Amino acid sequence: MEKSGSIDSLGSKRSSSRHPSVDSLSSSSTSRSDRSAQAKPPSGMSCDSVATSADLSPELRVKRKTAAKQVLRNSNKEEPQLLPNETVQDMAQDVTYFCPFIGALRGTVTVTNYRLFFKCMDREPAFVLDLPLGVVSRVEKIGSASSRGDVSYGLVCKDIRNLRFAHKQMEDTLRKSIFEVLVKFAFPVSNGLQIFALEYGQVFPENGWKVYDAVSEYKRQGIPNESWRITKVNDHYEVCDTYPSTLAVPVNIPDEELKRVAAFRAKGRIPVLSWIHPESQATVTRCSQPMVGVNGKRSKEDEKYLQAIMDANAQSHKLFIFDARPSVNAAANKMKGGGFESEDAYQNAELVFLDIHNIHVMRESLRKLKDVVYPNVEDSHWLSNLESTHWLEHIKLIMAGALRIADKVESGKTSVVVHCSDGWDRTAQLTSLAMLMLDGYYRTIRGFEVLLEKEWLSFGHRFQLRIGHGDKNHTDADRSPVFIQFIDCVWQLTRQFPAAFEFNEYFLVTILDHLYSCLFGTFLCNSEQQRLKEEVPKRTVSLWAYINSQLEEFTNPLYVNYSNHVLFPVVSLRHLELWVGYYIRWNPRMRPQEPVHQRYKELLAKRAELQKRVDELQREVTNRSASSSSERAGSPTRSITPVQTFV
Amino acid sequence: MEHLRTPKVENVRFLDRSSGQRKATIGTLYLSATHTIFVENNPESRKETWVLHSMVSSVERPPTIPAGSQLILRCKDFRVFQILIPQERDCLDVHTSLVRLSRPEKYSELYCLSFNPNVNKLEREESWNFIDIMADYKRMGVPNNLWVATAANSEYRVCDTYPSELFVPKTATPAIIVGSSRFRSRGRFPALSYFHQDTLAAVCRCSQPLSGFSGRCQEDEMMLQMLMKSNPGSDYIYVVDTRPKLNAMANRAAGKGYENEDHYTNIKLQFIGIENIHVMRSSQQKMIDVGEMRSPSMTDFLYGLENSGWLKHIKAILDAGLFIARAVADEGVSVLVHCSDGWDRTAQACSVASILLDPYYRTIKGLMVLIEKDWVCFGHKFSHRYAHLDGDPKEVSPVIDQFLECVWQLSEQFPCAFEFNERFIIAIHTHVYSSQYGTFLGNCQKERRDMRLRERSHSVWPQLWKDRAEYTNPLYKAELSQSQGVLRPNTTPYCFKMWKGLYNHTEKSTPPRQSPADFLSAVREESQQLEEELTNHQERIAALTGKPITWEKIEVPRRRTSHLRQTHSGPDPPTTYTDTITSPAQDNGHTLSSKPANQKTPTQDLSLTLPLRPHTQLKSPNPDDHSTRSNLESGMADLSSCSSSRRDNGKDPNLDEAVFITA
Repeated sequence: MEKSGSIDSLGSKRSSSRHPSVDSLSSSSTSRSDRSAQAKPPSGMSCDSVATSADLSPELRVKRKTAAKQVLRNSNKEEPQLLPNETVQDMAQDVTYFCPFIGALRGTVTVTNYRLFFKCMDREPAFVLDLPLGVVSRVEKIGSASSRGDVSYGLVCKDIRNLRFAHKQMEDTLRKSIFEVLVKFAFPVSNGLQIFALEYGQVFPENGWKVYDAVSEYKRQGIPNESWRITKVNDHYEVCDTYPSTLAVPVNIPDEELKRVAAFRAKGRIPVLSWIHPESQATVTRCSQPMVGVNGKRSKEDEKYLQAIMDANAQSHKLFIFDARPSVNAAANKMKGGGFESEDAYQNAELVFLDIHNIHVMRESLRKLKDVVYPNVEDSHWLSNLESTHWLEHIKLIMAGALRIADKVESGKTSVVVHCSDGWDRTAQLTSLAMLMLDGYYRTIRGFEVLLEKEWLSFGHRFQLRIGHGDKNHTDADRSPVFIQFIDCVWQLTRQFPAAFEFNEYFLVTILDHLYSCLFGTFLCNSEQQRLKEEVPKRTVSLWAYINSQLEEFTNPLYVNYSNHVLFPVVSLRHLELWVGYYIRWNPRMRPQEPVHQRYKELLAKRAELQKRVDELQREVTNRSASSSSERAGSPTRSITPVQTFV
Repeated sequence: MEHLRTPKVENVRFLDRSSGQRKATIGTLYLSATHTIFVENNPESRKETWVLHSMVSSVERPPTIPAGSQLILRCKDFRVFQILIPQERDCLDVHTSLVRLSRPEKYSELYCLSFNPNVNKLEREESWNFIDIMADYKRMGVPNNLWVATAANSEYRVCDTYPSELFVPKTATPAIIVGSSRFRSRGRFPALSYFHQDTLAAVCRCSQPLSGFSGRCQEDEMMLQMLMKSNPGSDYIYVVDTRPKLNAMANRAAGKGYENEDHYTNIKLQFIGIENIHVMRSSQQKMIDVGEMRSPSMTDFLYGLENSGWLKHIKAILDAGLFIARAVADEGVSVLVHCSDGWDRTAQACSVASILLDPYYRTIKGLMVLIEKDWVCFGHKFSHRYAHLDGDPKEVSPVIDQFLECVWQLSEQFPCAFEFNERFIIAIHTHVYSSQYGTFLGNCQKERRDMRLRERSHSVWPQLWKDRAEYTNPLYKAELSQSQGVLRPNTTPYCFKMWKGLYNHTEKSTPPRQSPADFLSAVREESQQLEEELTNHQERIAALTGKPITWEKIEVPRRRTSHLRQTHSGPDPPTTYTDTITSPAQDNGHTLSSKPANQKTPTQDLSLTLPLRPHTQLKSPNPDDHSTRSNLESGMADLSSCSSSRRDNGKDPNLDEAVFITA
């Protein structure tokens, strides 16, 4: 433990000689190593940690049990444990990593076609930074060679951190710097290379691509039924190239009419079923904005179609249309030919705007948040700084919108139509969150995988564009943290209903880590059609294969199967919190102080064990009393029937 | 009774604003000598709300509206009740009565002294011996060859706000103690608060020196030298002045101030910067205002919270404790802590440091001991700070609120390190204000002795101890490495949260309804039952295999009665009253808790929230502790079959009823 009486808040005093200053890091490194023995680091791709290499990558975890010895032996090496088909591209000694928490560290950098691996052997235990290249958003050479001949590089990452390295100026000017090699492999798409997911050769027991099958998911919901049918009209993605091939639509609308409806909806994204209430038959349907335009164009087919959606639910004579946008934005879209449903044209329909801002606003909000939380949180004005990012405000609006949808369907027994502009960002957030509140199935691990496959992947959330996998064009205006916001909302839900979700926080963090890592094919491409064309399911491994191979890691010990319950979260801002476990996780000082989950598991395991033993003994008692009663009839023991010790 | 202008008003509209109730209920308002009681007219629920007079902090009378006259009752535990009385005259009577009743002028008017409990004398005396401070010093290893008890303050001769029994360095003679006390504000000379056995370093406390700009005192300098010498491991001590340096300097003009490092050899002076009681009072008020905002925007809320400065103050106190704890545990250096008078900030800093240093104080009993030692004995002015009597409003300040909040913030950071849960901390908070027990009455030990409190009232600690099952944190694990030794909390700003459990009743009653802690308490409870069943089975098997056994031994009554009783944060009203009040007799907790809780309006507002509920039950839910528990219990049923045995235990029938109504 460090020898000091200094406290961080006494910053001004810190410099005075009598208080040896500590930034708590010397102490935290010790305690962290304690912890790593007991609990997993928050992320598989742990960085800035002194974790041993066993914790470093998911694949290693899979085979950790068998490979434990080997790992121990290798932990002194400067190279990472390579994944199948991962190859070292370059190595450089004497590179300095400027850790914002520990300070400058000198070590070896290895660049492979999948990762950047930095190891500093000067510390005990060795310091390791293991970064999948997919998280790199941009690489900048900072300044020119300094007087000491150092060249400095900054890596801006997609997962809320920035890294800085420096190495000596190359004497051999022809030789490429390791960071130039890194740039090549960090942006394979821009450099005519393959994304690593296409090469990754790990085999998992389960084929994750089989987790979701549209037809069986609709069947689980009870579709087809008397009001809804499955159509193959989009089988070759002709009606809508960003929609899945399997769609559920009202029974009495023939395929030909669907095509005419498609002409009136942006990008041909017609209203189709997302979820149906098992009892009331109220539905959640999703689409894109109608092509109303400045002249207020109407479409008889579209009007009839929405009427059919309403009629499919006998319980209600009303239909709610939730437009996710602020009404101003929706009106502005008319200039571009879009717009919103007028209540004159759509009788019995009520239009509600949910005031959720567009992808550009969200991108800017997250950028500000990163400035506030990384690398260090400023001591003063934390709350007002947080407020100025508006991040929680956006989270609140999304959750409030989803809650209104869920409430209309559950309490109002009314069908709802949800759309934004194109119906692949805000719409996906809203429908999937509402479904998570309404249907306990989606709160299981497999159910959540199905939910993501369905509402996000098959319905064409443009992951490639929003994340920019392997693309060096970091200023692309199409990038936006829409999916991160959704996962943040899910985390907020798990906070409010800690026993309602089968998965834990680590599951959510893992999904976000692999959103960027490009290790799995799950989040590649922009639509189902593209993924099929690129043969992504054939050529890559699904994230679900990895997750389902070690479910225990991702299971919430408190889970109770409330399958019939509907969750109505509080969206009051006092109940929304910043997801410190994700946004501030790189700061070693925020690591959880205690392994609470460990305790949860212990307590539950203890009870299960006791229950088992009681059952065993109960059986023994029954057996013995049965046998003894024949011998010693009338003995007092016989009269005592199943134990009731409680008063 | 003479202050009761009217005992009963009918057709009163009553709104529990703090619990988020939106629609007033009609009923009858009763005023007793001790409580305001509202009984709902609705014959099905007949819900009662009891508000102890001493918990009322203010009674406002807003302008009369056509429907009648209004009263707003604000309570010291941050509840707000709105009352609408049809007749203005009645309203005036109630107002006058309440204003008078909520501000007793003499101790003898106080609740704890006004009732004659049926408990016998012996039991009462025992209740006062439940917490033994001397035993705690013994636990720390004091007296020893470094620290000894001194008789200097017996009969409170040297310092009337100090306890009579104190520990000082072995070398400190009475002459030095008396000399030092003359040089200290209010005679509060340096005395031992905590002794750390591992490093032999000590935490001592005192008040500011009367140094002015140049004054010095030989005995006081010797006293500090002796403090230093009684720690063989170090050649200096820290003097922690918990005030902002500016304030300390200002005090010099009044002939007080801080230690001059030139006069005292081998001290290192450290200012911490905890603000004074006036700043804290207004800061808390600002934060409460933020909590009361009806539908604040994110901006209102976050800016409001930040501008209140409350969390910043909590951080300062925790930082002070952390500084002391590190000095003692890591550097092995003794610390002398003071502020101005050494009874507010000093108590906060010392007790937080003790919590960080010693796992014992993180247990239920330990926290009681700590509060008794650092707060009650060392003369924290409870009656002044928490307005037990009508007095100077400038003396009122949420000093112990802040200490309790520090404990809560720590328990959030170290969820497995504390034996008690949030309910326990809140229960202590309530008792500090309610003056239902004698423990927190008066301003120092001498005053309590002069009032003969031990003969006239009860100690709160045995009462809380009796209910400890309810106050236990299921996650607590004493053996856990992090639970042992020194806690090193992170004190960066984002680690401090608004304490919703205390300040936000509005949302306390609404979700999150699934509390993992409650769930785990149930799991633990079950595990205990299973263990008993196990023994039971083993014994039966032993019996069946022919060994003699006594059956009576198995039917041991379980220690679990309190767990299923209604949760209440208020202290129990005296048994004598339960008979006289007309209502379904309820013998538990009615400082202010209300029975089948607040029925929400059936039309669910979206900003309100619904609990987990099955599709089949579409009645509006009731955000209530009971339903939570029943929810959890049914959840338990999913997990295992054994929970069926939980049902038929000595459960309050009212509870079942409440659950039924709310289901």
